Amino acid sequence: MEELQHIHPEPTSFIRKWVFSTDHKVIARQFLWAGLLFLAFGGGLAMLIRWQWAYPGEPVPAVGSLLFSGSGGSITPANYNSIFTMHGLIMIFFAITPIMIGAFGNFCIPLMIGARDMAFPKLNMLSFWTFLLSQCLVLASFFVQLGSGAAGWTTYPPLSTNVGTPGLGQTLVVAAIFVTGVATIMGGLNYVTTVVRLRAPGMTYARMPATVWGLWLTAILNVLFVPVLGSAALLLLLDRQFGTQFYVAGSSAVRGGGDPILFQHLFWIFGHPEVYILILPPWGFVTDLVSFFARKPAYWFKGSIFAMSAVTILSAVVYGHHMFVTGMNPMLGQSFMTLTLIISVPAELLFLNWLHTIWKGSIRLTVPMLFALGTIFVFGLGGLTGLFLGTISTDLYLHDTMFVVGHFHLTMAAAAFLGSFAAIYFWFPKMFGRNMNQTLGKWHFWFSAVFITLVFCGQLAAGYAGHQRRLFDPYQYTFLQHLHPLNRWTSYFAFLLGIGQLPFVYNFFRSVFMGTKAEMNPWEIGTLEWTLPSPPVHHNFDTIPTVHRGPHEFANPEVKKALGRDWIGQAEELPKTEKAPAKPAAAAGAS
Amino acid sequence: MQRKARLVKAAATAAGLLSTTHVGAAPSPEPGFGLPRDVSEYGHHIDWLIEVTAVFTALLFVIMVIWMLWACLKHNEKHEADYDHGESKHSVKTALLLSAVIFFVVDGNLFYNSTTDVFRVFWNHDSVENNPQAVKIEINAHQWAWDARYAGPDGKFNTKDDIITLNDVRVPVGAPVLLQLVSPDVIHSFYLPNLRVKQDAMPGMINRLWFQAKQTGEYDIGCAQHCGVNHYKMKGTLTVLSPDEFKSWAADQSAIGARGYDPKDNEAHWGWEWRARN
Repeated sequence: MEELQHIHPEPTSFIRKWVFSTDHKVIARQFLWAGLLFLAFGGGLAMLIRWQWAYPGEPVPAVGSLLFSGSGGSITPANYNSIFTMHGLIMIFFAITPIMIGAFGNFCIPLMIGARDMAFPKLNMLSFWTFLLSQCLVLASFFVQLGSGAAGWTTYPPLSTNVGTPGLGQTLVVAAIFVTGVATIMGGLNYVTTVVRLRAPGMTYARMPATVWGLWLTAILNVLFVPVLGSAALLLLLDRQFGTQFYVAGSSAVRGGGDPILFQHLFWIFGHPEVYILILPPWGFVTDLVSFFARKPAYWFKGSIFAMSAVTILSAVVYGHHMFVTGMNPMLGQSFMTLTLIISVPAELLFLNWLHTIWKGSIRLTVPMLFALGTIFVFGLGGLTGLFLGTISTDLYLHDTMFVVGHFHLTMAAAAFLGSFAAIYFWFPKMFGRNMNQTLGKWHFWFSAVFITLVFCGQLAAGYAGHQRRLFDPYQYTFLQHLHPLNRWTSYFAFLLGIGQLPFVYNFFRSVFMGTKAEMNPWEIGTLEWTLPSPPVHHNFDTIPTVHRGPHEFANPEVKKALGRDWIGQAEELPKTEKAPAKPAAAAGAS
Repeated sequence: MQRKARLVKAAATAAGLLSTTHVGAAPSPEPGFGLPRDVSEYGHHIDWLIEVTAVFTALLFVIMVIWMLWACLKHNEKHEADYDHGESKHSVKTALLLSAVIFFVVDGNLFYNSTTDVFRVFWNHDSVENNPQAVKIEINAHQWAWDARYAGPDGKFNTKDDIITLNDVRVPVGAPVLLQLVSPDVIHSFYLPNLRVKQDAMPGMINRLWFQAKQTGEYDIGCAQHCGVNHYKMKGTLTVLSPDEFKSWAADQSAIGARGYDPKDNEAHWGWEWRARN
């Protein structure tokens, strides 16, 4: 390993050190800042949607006169379409993806496998700057005539072609999706190669932390399926700008040149893996964190890895359940339903392993642990509600309702959101070399977990009553009028969720600049990154460590006897006691 | 007093009569939370499956939460952690067995019932196609309205005696109704919440949907697929009439349609020859 990774001197100029850096730790922080900024932006858009459903047509307080001056401060139907479209796109591609995959993929993978940097540091830098370009395209789309994209985050044609959404805004947004896809593929290639090539001696796949497993499987899915999204977006761009007709059908009853269904196939071939792209990293975080803070080995760790891998493979063959009401052949629908239901087996295994891990542990309810448990809670709700949508007959009623919105927010949004915060609170000391305030962190957790659950359960309840998605004014429908109080309460919870992020913003900024200096290993954990100073030096490891055991070696009686503590590092030699000990069971498990 | 009561009663009767004949009469609001009223012959299949699965999943979720709370309270930092990797044969067997039981009960129930319901009822369009009782309607979904077309007495679409309505679909109670859906612009989705069915209208395709109402009255028709600025306004009314009312309404409408028929008006000929696919 040493000869593969020479130690390069740390750059001294400001530009090379902090702007065009090839250091994975700096790039991780760049992704984190860019992602958090857009998380706030996407969250603000969500608040506007919730305002509209609570008080349809009424002027938005405070910001209304500024944003919607043409309509006396109220959201118009056209504004509304842009707002929900961009909320979805920004959260998925420009907030959650950079935070979880850009920031923590970059930060954790080399440190946790014992590498000095990514396999391709320059490609890594290029990935961030390409991503930044895509964010600029998104921002630009808000300042052109006819406004930003408005065809929904799924951008189904023909609505997303010039037939339904003319104007430069939608074009810029589709271009941004393409460009961010390029950035994601560059990152993904890097992660896959790094894990395959740069693991420290002794760091077998079974000894890799679950975090690295989750990020690695995500990277594999990204490399395989984001190109499909790229081609879908490219054909859409050609339809919009160059008059092709890939997705534009002829007149109603006669087939024309193109086929709008083609886009849905391409989109969901990417889109279903995408939901696992966004949930595999939190699964990894949670699998590690519940073991770290229950001070107990991860229960049947190989089973968890197997389950995550099985979900990764299955995610590629279930996408048709997004298209049950498009006029799909019934036999095809039946196949997709069957494959979809099979995903519950590995998902159940994963839950059972988490629950068994905390059982009979010695649980420390630290802020990262609270967020990890919160992730299990909301993902439980999200996963279980998925059963109703993966089944054809129940989906006939629930398809395209707020039930779908509640379901995928609980999985992709709530679980990814809480999982990301678990990671932020956990690795913050290593990332910035300073500690975050734990009391504020707990406030942030309780506000976030309670209200995020209430908001998305409110959406589930509305969808259960038949409420369609994406309605500017739901109360135009008689059968939805009685849901106004429910929606209004859901909105109040959403506003409280928004307010609940203020402790985090304050805590984050204060801690980055003025937090107390972090120790090397504040959580007393055995994975490799905690053997380094906080923050680690430029080349991470002076000498590349040799790994002896898995990442979750807690409560081992041998270790307690020899070292007087309940944990041992992955690369730490167990000192010989007088009586030569038998090989601990854990090391055997990590063969 | 009595006279006033009689008047009110008369007015109510008149209003009741009007509501069945007046175009665009309003559906009544839903009484409470939960699933909307089910007025379909087969909707209870879906409702049952949703409700049973809701009970199963709620149970699993509650067990999970109790487990987590119990662990956090009882196995806190004062408790000494077990040194257990959960890799013994017994542990692995327990985990696999539990997953299998949950899978076969909850998912198995969903799979079995969805399969039978979908193939026997909801996607079994062919049996309705061959049913002489079935009412056939062509729906042209476009930004932002639903055009409906009935074949009229001659049984042929796109002819002089067709009945053509806008956002107003009328069907007889107790008879199967088969729709063919198209769209000339963007994707729409024909959605009858009170009958638990939904089907996309896809440019370039003719999609099918069928239902059978068991209760007269007015119900909302919604669009479930985002279709542009006025998506939220793309609603219609489904009016379920008694068979006699439907017959007389159809006869009247067909005559009105024939009076205004212009063979040279291409716009009015958006219908198509019914496609009985097998």
